[in-house]
Amino acid sequence: MSEEKGRSLLPVASGAEIRTALAGLVRPFRLRAVAALAALVAGAAVSLVTAPLLGRIVDLVADGRGPDAVTTPVLLLVVVAIAQGLLAVLGVALVARVGENMLADLRERFVERALGLPLQRIESAGAGDLTSRASEDVALVGEAVREAVPDFARAALTIALTLVGLAVLDWRFTVAALLAVPVQVLTARWYLRRSSPMYALQRRYAGAQQQQLLDTVGGVRTVRALGLADDHARRVRSRTEDVVTTERRVVRLQTGFFGRLNVAEFIGVAGVLTAGFLLVRSGTASIGTASAAALYFINLFNPINQVLFLLDTAQSAAASLGRIVGVVNLPPAQAVAEPRTASDGSVRVKGLGHAYVAGHDVLDGVDLDVDPGTRVALVGASGAGKTTLATLVAGVHSPVRGAIEIGGVPLESHDPERLRTSVALVTQEVHVFAGPLADDLRLARADATDAELRAALDAVGATGWVDALPDGLATEVGSGGHTLTVVQAQHLALARLVLADPLVAVLDEATAEAGSAGARSLEDAAERALAGRTGLLVAHRLTQAAGADLVVVLEAGRVVEQGTHDELLAARGRYHGLWAAWTDSR
Amino acid sequence: MVAVTGARVLRTAVREARRGLSGAGVLLVGHQAGEAMVPVLVGVVIDRAVDGGGVESLLFWLAVLAVDFAVLSLSYRYGARAAAIASVRTDQRLRLRIADRVLDPRGGAEAGRLPGVLAGIAVADAQRVGALGFALPVALSAVAALVVAAVALLNISVPLGLLILLGTPPLLFVVHLLGKPLERRSGPEQERAARAAGVAADLVTGVRVLKGIGAERAAVARYRLTSRDALGATLRATGAQAWYSGTVLALNGLFLALVALVGGRLAADGALSVGQLVSAVGLAQFLIGPLEVFGWVNGRLAQARASAARIAEVLSAPPAVDGEGEVTPAGGAVTVRGLRHGALRDGLDLDVAAGAFVGVVATADEAVVLLDCLGREIDPEEGTVEVDGVGLEACAPAAARRAVLVAGHDALLFTGSVHDNVLAAAPVGTDPAPAMRAAQADEVVAGLPAGASTEVGDRGTALSGGQRQRVALARAVAADPAVLVLHDPTTAVDAVTEARIADGLRAARRGRTTVVVTASPALLAVADRVVLVEAGRVRADGTHADLLRDDARYRKLVLG
Repeated sequence: MSEEKGRSLLPVASGAEIRTALAGLVRPFRLRAVAALAALVAGAAVSLVTAPLLGRIVDLVADGRGPDAVTTPVLLLVVVAIAQGLLAVLGVALVARVGENMLADLRERFVERALGLPLQRIESAGAGDLTSRASEDVALVGEAVREAVPDFARAALTIALTLVGLAVLDWRFTVAALLAVPVQVLTARWYLRRSSPMYALQRRYAGAQQQQLLDTVGGVRTVRALGLADDHARRVRSRTEDVVTTERRVVRLQTGFFGRLNVAEFIGVAGVLTAGFLLVRSGTASIGTASAAALYFINLFNPINQVLFLLDTAQSAAASLGRIVGVVNLPPAQAVAEPRTASDGSVRVKGLGHAYVAGHDVLDGVDLDVDPGTRVALVGASGAGKTTLATLVAGVHSPVRGAIEIGGVPLESHDPERLRTSVALVTQEVHVFAGPLADDLRLARADATDAELRAALDAVGATGWVDALPDGLATEVGSGGHTLTVVQAQHLALARLVLADPLVAVLDEATAEAGSAGARSLEDAAERALAGRTGLLVAHRLTQAAGADLVVVLEAGRVVEQGTHDELLAARGRYHGLWAAWTDSR
Repeated sequence: MVAVTGARVLRTAVREARRGLSGAGVLLVGHQAGEAMVPVLVGVVIDRAVDGGGVESLLFWLAVLAVDFAVLSLSYRYGARAAAIASVRTDQRLRLRIADRVLDPRGGAEAGRLPGVLAGIAVADAQRVGALGFALPVALSAVAALVVAAVALLNISVPLGLLILLGTPPLLFVVHLLGKPLERRSGPEQERAARAAGVAADLVTGVRVLKGIGAERAAVARYRLTSRDALGATLRATGAQAWYSGTVLALNGLFLALVALVGGRLAADGALSVGQLVSAVGLAQFLIGPLEVFGWVNGRLAQARASAARIAEVLSAPPAVDGEGEVTPAGGAVTVRGLRHGALRDGLDLDVAAGAFVGVVATADEAVVLLDCLGREIDPEEGTVEVDGVGLEACAPAAARRAVLVAGHDALLFTGSVHDNVLAAAPVGTDPAPAMRAAQADEVVAGLPAGASTEVGDRGTALSGGQRQRVALARAVAADPAVLVLHDPTTAVDAVTEARIADGLRAARRGRTTVVVTASPALLAVADRVVLVEAGRVRADGTHADLLRDDARYRKLVLG
């Protein structure tokens, strides 16, 4: 296994880049965006009429106008209620339409760019970097668009317009209300400094707890066999204790936040009431105006709490957005100047050398000459360079030294879009894609008919278990669906290979989970999947080598023996020694 | 296991948290009462001060308002903290109880449940029951708020108070009815929307597989379809959501207009003051909060009941095996007599002498049953397994497993370093080096960035399959049990390393009983004796070389 030092994470977009990207995303929907904003502003504005209308009722009562005088403002209140409702319908629907469309565009661009990245780039960032952006960041931005943005926009507009409304009543009310602002600003800063790291910690501990439980529950047979129950009980306890501790800190933070805002609320209410007192005393405002101002301010409590509390969500959504846009903005792969296509399934390797870390050669001076349609088995201890040779031939990494030709064309001159029709790779990484099993297979050939899918499954001996699935080819598999065994998952990988139908196939697919019976069945499946194409396979059992046309024995990155099974046995070298150990004829 | 019901889980949870719950309840009652008093006091300030009162009366009533804010703020702070802690502690207690049940040596809790489901019960269901720790005090405080607001309203005006108190519940009921179809519809649609994020993560996780066969374009095209489908579903859901929020807003506004109409007429008739009118309007808006809480608590209770039932089911799962006796093996001779269970249909007899190294070749199904019986995961329908003459089924399961260690081929490692894993089951003071050498795990360590201190990651995922398998084998060897049973220990290891492991294992277990269930020629070659099990009984018995020479069926099985 190659160890990676000096990881270089994928880029994160700056604030300016995020703004540019958002502007680009909103452009196709700008008319609707303007309409959405207009509807929200209008809705908030109409809702502000409520308080003055109530104030008007107060004034009418104070002036002793009699019960029937209140009818007009009440009717206006009815109109306001209906208008407010209709504008909310329009505003919410339009905001969702614009936001969701932008979100869909963004996630599609992200997936397209992420899947287009060279494997070497993904690996140098560490596999977790890209996956966490695809899972956590995409979900987080989605939630923010769905839940936080509409509430945030409405609350912010309500606050802004209420301040305007107060100013319309009398500018001094606005000044009084603004007395609360310094406390709110300080509170928001106090909270934001602490919230992000705290919530990150909370998520991390919750994740660790979940992982520990999965570990313990999933591995309970191993735990029992080795008598590790007490150890695991301790591990679970310590993980849950971490969760309790962070929960305690989170609730302290939140109650501290709301407590500070209570102070701001009091300052504001007291200010507005005092202003009312002074204005009424000087005859500048009526008692109804003062009441309206007080009602305005009481109705601000919730929107203010909401906006400040959502600032944290906004902050983390912005961070996630940066990580998504960072990937979206990566330059696309460079096209090859004069792309060529392999003419046959031959493989020529000359003077191949490779090092993951400069100075530490894992492969050196490897020559290989493989005719179309032949089967090559790579034999050697771990670390001998088998997997490295396989990934280099498949074009996953670029070699440090030497040349590789597939079908008479150097690897680097292949059209990257079509390289996989020449050489494909199946590794030990098993992944079953979530969704119907047929869809998983069609990733390899989008236009395959059901009959072709069946033929591919049949070729690798998988028809039996596929037919036994609840819905056959239509069965939902992968995460959230029917769980497949490791052997079944590898069968799928090989069936995809048959469908992709490359000239050269490179197989490196050992599985510890399969057991020897499963391993045997996979060997047979691999053998059949390679029919009619050149096969380069990392052999884990010598029987695989015995059936190959060419056996290549690697040691410490060099080819030490090369020939057919019989030739190598006759040479009585390393390969002979291994075979003798198997047949106990030492 | 004691039969436990969901109701009992809930009762126990509440009883254990009663101190925290009552404290939180009292404090949150104080908070709600304080909140209810805010509009009341604002009305009083308007009446007593703004409407022609003096500065002293303004200052006095503002001071009263300040005290009210202090009470509501502090009682919320400490009440919410107490409630959150009661909730998270309840959650933790349940989680630990479930973990203890799963870890019980008698087993049985995991029967018929996938690990993800069981872990989900321990996390999500425990959390839902724990959430009562917050919901119950909040419900109590909502009752208090309702009472305070009702008293205040009736004090202001009986007819207006009755209108608000009797009008608000039907209003909320109408809102609830409106929301119901939305809830039903939005559930599946939100699920489809969430799927878009899930599929993106799934494709990116499988990126190597996609790139290996050049399926990137197909995957992107596929994703676009999923994403557009999700978009459609979300937009339909938000359309319904928009109508719902608009209707709720309008209904609230209309109710307010009604309150203003009745209140305004009463005030004009002199039945209440203007300040009281302001208070009543404020209280009408305030009341919606506590009343909504009842609906919320009701939902929480239903969830908690369902979760408690699932937890109870796990806690009362019957044990798979039982027993009290002890076994302290001397030589470690294993005697299997008339073993019949599942795939082993014919009464298997098998003898392994103390200190012998024996290979067993069997079909996958038979191997699993034999290993389950040796490891006491199950007790056979018929027959016995004895170690040095002591029947395992009469022993305490943990004691039986101390005598006979069955190491499966799935090579599961646990979070920690390589070193921690190797020594996990070893007697205190064991030197890990010999076991690591035997399993060729020293080779693994030599290639790791931090050597034996390298963290293996969740379930060992930082290592390759072959590396994991060797570390797991070293762990089994380091445990040094009287009888070691290995199942396919080298399936992910290359042939060169496998041959070295066979020799190393043989040397490390010299004089200790070892059974290897495998079809690997390299391992079978070093065994003293190989037993071929077929159709539930021993079909051939001899050395690897002899069987290869004399038994065509055996040759086909191990070299085929």
